[in-house]
Amino acid sequence: MYDDELRGMHLQELRRGTVVLACLIILKEPNYGYALLDHLERSGFAVDANTLYPLLRRLEKQGLLISDWNTDEARPRKFYRTSDAGTALADALTHDWDDLHSAFRTLRGES
Amino acid sequence: MTTPTLTDRYVDATLRRLPERQRADIERELRASIEDAVEARVDGGEDPADAERAVLTGLGDPARLAAGYSDRPLHLIGPALYLPYTRLLIALIAIVVPIVATVVGVVQAFDGAGIGEIIGDVIGAAITTAVNVAFWTTLLFAVLERLPDVRVPVLREWTLDQLPEPPSRRRRYADLIAETVALALFAAFVLVSPVLRIKTDAAGDPIGILSPWLWDTGVVYGFVFLALAGLSFNYVKMYTRWSAPVAVAGAAVNLAAAVVMVWVAASNHLLNPAFVTAADWRADVWEWVRLGVIIVAAMSIVQIVVELVRGFTTRSWVQADLGTTIREAVDRIPGVRR
Repeated sequence: MYDDELRGMHLQELRRGTVVLACLIILKEPNYGYALLDHLERSGFAVDANTLYPLLRRLEKQGLLISDWNTDEARPRKFYRTSDAGTALADALTHDWDDLHSAFRTLRGES
Repeated sequence: MTTPTLTDRYVDATLRRLPERQRADIERELRASIEDAVEARVDGGEDPADAERAVLTGLGDPARLAAGYSDRPLHLIGPALYLPYTRLLIALIAIVVPIVATVVGVVQAFDGAGIGEIIGDVIGAAITTAVNVAFWTTLLFAVLERLPDVRVPVLREWTLDQLPEPPSRRRRYADLIAETVALALFAAFVLVSPVLRIKTDAAGDPIGILSPWLWDTGVVYGFVFLALAGLSFNYVKMYTRWSAPVAVAGAAVNLAAAVVMVWVAASNHLLNPAFVTAADWRADVWEWVRLGVIIVAAMSIVQIVVELVRGFTTRSWVQADLGTTIREAVDRIPGVRR
């Protein structure tokens, strides 16, 4: 059998990139860093804070997210939301995910 | 003045590693995120100090976080540049180190240094050169790794043309035969030279052209033995696949022969002084012969080392000639096209 470390490594490899898609989908509703982290965790997309925060800035730099400072509350927060380009990418990635899903079903002979 | 909190220290440690223009925005966001996370834990019934520690610990090494923010690589040389890096490094070391070592050895030999001093200086120069070549090459690639825009033209697409040529067996066979005949003639000349009647002394006995010291010490037999051993290794190479022990042993035997030659010439034990006198040669002929022998031996040392290194990189027997070697090394320098 395989050990846990090996399993963890392959799981991580398989899940790489899914966090981006999850963020693009969740952020169709504007949200801020910590709330997004919490949301991802509750939705089953465990991600480290030190991975997510830089990732949000990278996606913003790529034009997939748009950010605004919300200073209405006592604690000012940077709110991110998915841009039009981000929505288009999310659709493309979702489509690809669905294709992969049916491809795996076919492989397993379930189609 | 208030003492900085753990959060202050953590944020400072992160910001210190970021470009000035990003700092204000990241600081504001990072602090808000930390406070949100601490607040969530405190709401869950945790002690505020413990919550702060837990949140900061969860964020991990500030250097790693900062690298994430600024997209800095957390490796010296990444997968894209690794192969060009190792290829250039091997080519440079295989070419530059033997040349420097040989030059140092020859210069020292001409300065009349003892054999121990020469060997010591050659090894020292070789190590210093190798370390320098490795350091500067590594530095160059580490810098390239951090200049993403420069990376593209540096890399050449791999094509089938870059596969190593299969060695031409027929040519190698011809080379081997030529080598055998040359060595047989050379060994015969050396061994019979004491009885060749080119010049004779007053009693009518022949004066050998080579120094009698070679026979008195047995060095001549050692040299002929090494030359024959070197030739046998070439036959072994012809009929066996590449293997590290044979490659190293063959190179060692050839190197030993070349070193003996340099040593004999440098220590003035090559020609028979009596013969030079009897033949009425000018004094500088002696020096020219010596210089010629040392240069030939030095070139063969370079070639032996190059063959050995290229053998290790291609895992096949290679016949290195200097021209091809240099051309290939230049080809391997990223960005250079002939």
